[in-house]
Amino acid sequence: MSVGFIGAGQVAHALVRGFTAAGVIASHKITASSPDTDLPTVQGLRKLGVHFTTSNKETVNKSDVLFLAVKPHIIPFVLDEIGPDIEDRHLIVSCAAGVTINSIEKKLLQYRANPKVMRCMTNTPVVVREGATVYATGTHAEVEDGKLLKQLMASVGFCTEVEEDLIDAVTGLSGSGPAYAFTAADALADGGVKMGLPRRLAERVGAQAMLGAARMLLDSEEHPAMFKDKVCTPGGATIHAMHVLESGGFRSLLINAVEASCSRAKELQKLKS
Amino acid sequence: MDAETDSPRIGFIGAGNMAFGIAKGILSGNIRPENVKVSAPSLRNLGRFQELNITTTHSNTEVVCGSDIIFLAVKPHVVPLVLHEISPHVTHGHMIVSVAAGVTVATLEELLPLGSVVIRLMPNLPCVVLEGALLFARGTCATQDHGAMLRSLLHRCGLVEEGPEAWIDIHTGLSGSGVAFVYLFAEALAEGAVKMGMPSALAHSIASQTVLGAGRLLRESDKHPAQLRSEVCTPGGTTIYGLHALEQGGLRASTMGAVESATERARELGRVSAATRNGK
Repeated sequence: MSVGFIGAGQVAHALVRGFTAAGVIASHKITASSPDTDLPTVQGLRKLGVHFTTSNKETVNKSDVLFLAVKPHIIPFVLDEIGPDIEDRHLIVSCAAGVTINSIEKKLLQYRANPKVMRCMTNTPVVVREGATVYATGTHAEVEDGKLLKQLMASVGFCTEVEEDLIDAVTGLSGSGPAYAFTAADALADGGVKMGLPRRLAERVGAQAMLGAARMLLDSEEHPAMFKDKVCTPGGATIHAMHVLESGGFRSLLINAVEASCSRAKELQKLKS
Repeated sequence: MDAETDSPRIGFIGAGNMAFGIAKGILSGNIRPENVKVSAPSLRNLGRFQELNITTTHSNTEVVCGSDIIFLAVKPHVVPLVLHEISPHVTHGHMIVSVAAGVTVATLEELLPLGSVVIRLMPNLPCVVLEGALLFARGTCATQDHGAMLRSLLHRCGLVEEGPEAWIDIHTGLSGSGVAFVYLFAEALAEGAVKMGMPSALAHSIASQTVLGAGRLLRESDKHPAQLRSEVCTPGGTTIYGLHALEQGGLRASTMGAVESATERARELGRVSAATRNGK
């Protein structure tokens, strides 16, 4: 089985890094294409042993599973370009935020009777095989296609199938989520530095605290609030800090952020139709 | 002790709401009204005790001499006067249980004979409907058996727990004042409904039943309230929208602040009353 990426930017690079680290596919079985050869990610892809080309057509011809990893507004142009070269064997997987399966199928139906399309929303931590991916299945994709995609994406983190109408919410939560986490880690480190820690140490223990907490949550069925309670000694340091967080509206800010990202994803989708 | 049943004789000095609530709870156990006495300076509050067939009197001394366990349910500033009055009649066989806010075990023990068995109790208002939350702290000479006796007397009043004296102020903030916080929340729930078009009387009635129902479910469940909350939130449903509005309003932080504020005030009042007494 060979895999191709139309687009050689962040998403392609992250997925390739993850797949090759997982050993789920050999890098020489991967092709990536982009008109722009100056992208730093292009270098990265080449170093990983991926076959890079400026020809999208070549990528299509060399692949069975084809990831569309370009910016959402580029998708229609790419589809027009590669439409004629799509064969029965091809599984098209779009990673573009806000681009519906329906819009992709409509384009491809101009060239082919039963295009197999899937849509996924993943996130950058696929790079370290801790991604969060959801996918939705298009009209003509088979059960085996879903299994294949799941196998690929599960090698780089958590992966599950969803109804397409949930994808925008996932975008808001785990698509954008790493950015929220990076920002939190940065600010926590600042807090550490303010209280006297060297920056490097502050970043290290702050990020580790987040990682550790996430691991505890993922390994258990318990509600996060129960974990929080166990950390908060009566009258202790942590509960004082929690009150500060609550006073600042920490929870509602996070809810607002997820909502804003999700709404924007929906909006972007409307702009395109 | 009552010779016939070997159950303790209970006395109340003070006949206010707290005394009444506790009396009701005690009577719903196996203490008979004949073994309960209450004293108050005026007849005003004694009527409802009489309706329960409890003996009433104006004499604090009579209550002390005729009881084994005495609840001191007078206003804090009256406590020193009352203790001064009854002290000559207090023996090691008595258990004095004070429900006076801000009056410490140290203060009580200082005003009573050496070796007196003293317990400080903080009930809350819903004792009057036998749904109280009561926390007690044992004095120097009160043993675990004394605590157990008090617990068995009070268990019909609601939830009874023991703790170090330091927790009493926190209990005041949480559950003494907490009742008022809940009233405020219920009022606001109703107002929200009125805003959305429901008649006020109905809104209030439903709001109070909602609080009661949620409270019961919470108490009867083994689950963390956060768990119960999450279970009620259908994805994209009405509840999560409402909760978001509450989070945006900082409800959690202000509730934590309310308990903190009330607790700090209880501590302060405790210091003030001790200082006042020392000043005398």
